[in-house]
This record gives sequence, structure tokens and C-alpha cells, in this order.
Amino acid sequence: MLPSYYEFHNPVKIISGNKALDNLPSELEILGAKRPMVVTDKGVAGAGLVKIFIDSFGSSGMTIGAIFDDVPPDSSSEVVEKITSIFRQNQCDSLVALGGGSVIDTAKGVNILVTENSDDLLKFSGAEVLRKKMKPLVVIPTTSGTGSEVTVVAVISDVKRNIKMPFASTYLLPDIALLDPRMTLTLPPKMTAATAMDAMSHAVESYINLQKNPMSDAYAVAAIEIICENVLKAVSDGNNAQVRLAMANASTMAGIAFSNSMVGVVHALGHAAGGICHIPHGVAMNIFLPFGLEYNLPKCRENIGKLLLHIAGDEVYARTPESRRAEQTINYIVELRKALNELCGLPINLKQAGVTEDKLSEIAQAAINDPSIVMNPREMDVNDALAILKKAF
Amino acid sequence: MAVQYRPIVPGIKRFKILVIKIVFIVLGRAFQSASQHDEEIRKEISSWRDGFTLIMKVMPDGPYMGLEKKNNMLEFKGSQLKQADFEIYFKNVESAFMIMTPQMGSHQAFAERRMSIKGDLGIATVFTRVLVIVMSVLYPEFIVKRLVKRVPPLTLKRAGLRVWLYTLGILLGK
Ligand SMILES: [Fe+2]
Repeated sequence: MLPSYYEFHNPVKIISGNKALDNLPSELEILGAKRPMVVTDKGVAGAGLVKIFIDSFGSSGMTIGAIFDDVPPDSSSEVVEKITSIFRQNQCDSLVALGGGSVIDTAKGVNILVTENSDDLLKFSGAEVLRKKMKPLVVIPTTSGTGSEVTVVAVISDVKRNIKMPFASTYLLPDIALLDPRMTLTLPPKMTAATAMDAMSHAVESYINLQKNPMSDAYAVAAIEIICENVLKAVSDGNNAQVRLAMANASTMAGIAFSNSMVGVVHALGHAAGGICHIPHGVAMNIFLPFGLEYNLPKCRENIGKLLLHIAGDEVYARTPESRRAEQTINYIVELRKALNELCGLPINLKQAGVTEDKLSEIAQAAINDPSIVMNPREMDVNDALAILKKAF
Repeated sequence: MAVQYRPIVPGIKRFKILVIKIVFIVLGRAFQSASQHDEEIRKEISSWRDGFTLIMKVMPDGPYMGLEKKNNMLEFKGSQLKQADFEIYFKNVESAFMIMTPQMGSHQAFAERRMSIKGDLGIATVFTRVLVIVMSVLYPEFIVKRLVKRVPPLTLKRAGLRVWLYTLGILLGK
């Protein structure tokens, strides 16, 4: 059903395919950039991706302003400040993020500071605080999950003040998302599975929540179909470039979907569990997804049921009576989790992920204050959250 | 003869602006009064620092109203505050009218981006819960049902608060 009103915004240029990276110098030139600064991490550099990156600039006449390859797994304001000063010193004029969620968020943070000519990120934290067009930002994801290459958000922790600063602004949208299969080939199986389930939960949550709209739906179901077709192959046969590129596309599509229609309780619980027990985001998504759907079932049975077509295919969908489709959708996701668990040991409950039972009430309390719950179809209170956590334990 | 092109100054939506201003006063006083009596609201806002300010504003140039947290209650500041720690925007007069009258709930208004926020996202989740409680006390259930995802229970205390708001609470803000 068409919502009475909606908005959809995605100005990010998508460049996807074989040797896509080699287009980067010309794309930067179109953006008016001459000295890009590269933000990446040790894992990416160690996998040889930075070398491929530098090679793609060969004979382009362009200078890479600096390469910072020491972003930690959790983006922090200290690192953002450090990169900002290098950016200024080397007179860079644009940013390239080469990495996963933390690297991308860090680059967005640097872009805030260099654009606003400031050294205090906290001043710009929150929703819609930013008001200036930023420096060109190109994102090259090396994981297929966060969707950060097409979203309006970034999260950076302030270690000194011990807080997580969220940023949300359309100005944070990168100019280009560049998907090159070479960039995800080396991602280990477990990380591949976890990030894939993050993308999956972006698509699924965006399809069932209150802000869904025909545009975000189209991206969400396309992403789900690609993930279901490719995820097991990507985990068991990581060297398959075709499959890797498919997963990268699905992740970006899921990112576009949820950047326009938000996520829900699965993410609220995942953020809370991540903050308190340091469960990796993708692992948390894998654990909570079926329970979040089950919780929302009374409010959006029809939408969850429709997902069966995209998850299980037309034959299963046609065979399943309408009244059973929503439950079947959840069953298929449970089965997918089992298969991933067998393939690479991705945890399917909180205990396996190292959470102790005494933490559950603290997680529940944090979850109901997470902004992700606002667009969830069902109003989750602290008792509901605790009940879901106990099931997922 | 050459056609003359002149700038056009659009009119003012007097009636809708007036209604919004009145609802702002009623809502502001209801916030002030309810925050003194309702335990749940007091618990919700206990995490906000003292002196924390909040405004609701009609964009781009419409009426606005402010609230300030003082002694664990929300004080109605009318149009005294021009800026605040946390701001809630209505995108235009029509959207504000729709939400204030109240034909549309805050979740739907957020979803349709008729209402948006500036500032700490965590405050937004607390604020929407407080708003739901205030609405459920102000309006009868058949209206509230259409506006919120889950109607908070109308306890005996809240029924009493409703009577108080309708008689003296809104008038006095106590
Ligand atoms: Fe996510």
C-alpha cells in the first residue's frame, strides 16, 4: 500500500564492477578533487588492498595526499582529530574511505571537522546539526554489510568522555560508492557471514517498519533476493568474484533502503548489546533478526509474509497458504542462520556470543532508549525487550 | 508594452497559526502540569540535566514554544526561548496543524518527515514517550488509539490527572 506521504533521497553515485577502482582518478577529477586523503585500516592494508588502490592511480597524474592506515575497529574521536590534522598539513582536498563501517564513519567524521574547520566533533553530534556542503567523499567498502557508503549516519565514540556520538545529516552522504569485487575477496568467512546478516537485517527491517515506502521497498527486496542467493556461496567460496560483487551490491541496496526508512528493534537490541557486551554488530543482527520479526508479527504479519517470496522464491511462496507465510519467512531465516553457523561458526544466541545472563536487563534498558525503535511497528517497552533477550539468550 | 514582473509576497495562514499557537500553550502547560504529577514522566526526564531546554517550532518562520527542565519538572517557557538544546521542527504550517489538532500521531509524523529533530537522538526517544503519556491524558482513548503505537494504561492516577488538567492544571500549569 502506498503511504499517504513519503520522502526518498539517494544522491550517491554507484560505480560497480570489474576493475571499478581504476575509474577513481577520473571520478575524483569530476568532483573537482586533486589531492585525496585515504582513510583505511591495518587489516585492509595487510590484505594488499592499499597496494591495488595505489596502482589504480598509476599514470593518472594525480597525487594521493596521504594514506592513514591505522583506524581502530571502533571509530574514535581521537583518531578523527589525528587524521584531520594530517589532512590539513598535507593540503588534501577530498577523502577516500577504504574499509568497513569504522573506516567509513571515521572518514565522515574527518569530513565534518575539515568542512567546519573545527576540532570538536561533539559540537556537531546529533540530527541535522550540520549545515554545510562537505568535501568530496568516495567510499570503497571492503565488507558487505554496513551500507555506510550510502547512509546519512555515522557513529564515533568519544573515548575521553566515554560516549558514543551519533551524527545524522544528509550532508554526510558520500558522493560515490565504489564497489570493486577485489576489495571484498579477502574477507574471512565469519566476517562475510556476519556482515551479510547485517545487510539482511537492514533490508528486512526497512521493509516492515513505519517509514517504509515504495522506493525503499524496491531496494530492500532486491537486496534480500541477492543475499539469499549468494550468502552461502560467499562464505564457502570467498574467491568467487561474481558472488562477492553480488553481495557488495546487495549491501549497498540494503543501505539505501534503511537510510530512507530506518531500522527497528533488531538494531535497537543490537546497538545495546554491542555497547554493553561488545558483540560485533553483524553477530548481534544474526542473533536478533528472527526474534525481532517474531515480536513484530502481530503488527505487520502481511509485510513479513510478503518477504517469503524474496527469501524462499516463488514456488515456496505459492505453495504456502497466506496465513502461514509470515511464520515461514521467519523459519527460513532461522534455517539460514543454522547453515551459516555450520559453515563458519557464526553465533546464533547470546550465550554463544559470550553474553552473560546478568547483563540482559541492562541491555533491555539501553535498547528502549535507542533511536532505532522509533520507526519500529510495535512499541517496545523494557519488559518486551527483556522477553526478546531471554529468548535470544 | 512590456510585461512587469514583480515579487510576490504570499499571505499569512492566520487561522491555522492561531490554532497552533493555542495548542502550543495548552500542550506546554499540560507538559508542565503532568511533569509534576506523573511518576512515569518524572522517571523519563530524570536523565536530562537541570536547565535542559527544548523547543517545538514551525518551520521556517512559524510560531514556537519552549520547555525547560527545572527541579525534575518541565517548565513552560512560551516563546521566551529562541534556541534550545533540543529542537523539534514541524516542516510547515499545514503539517504542524495536522499534528497539533491532533489528526496525526508523532510516529507517523516522524515517518512522513513532517516532524523532525535537531540534537541528541536519545532525547528524541524519551521525548516521544513523554508526549504519548501527555496525549493519553489530554485526549480520550478513541482519539489516542489512532495517534500512538500502544495506548498507555489510563490508571486511576492518570484519570485524576486528566480531571485536574481540564479544570485547573492547564490554566495554572501546576
Ligand atoms: Fe546494521
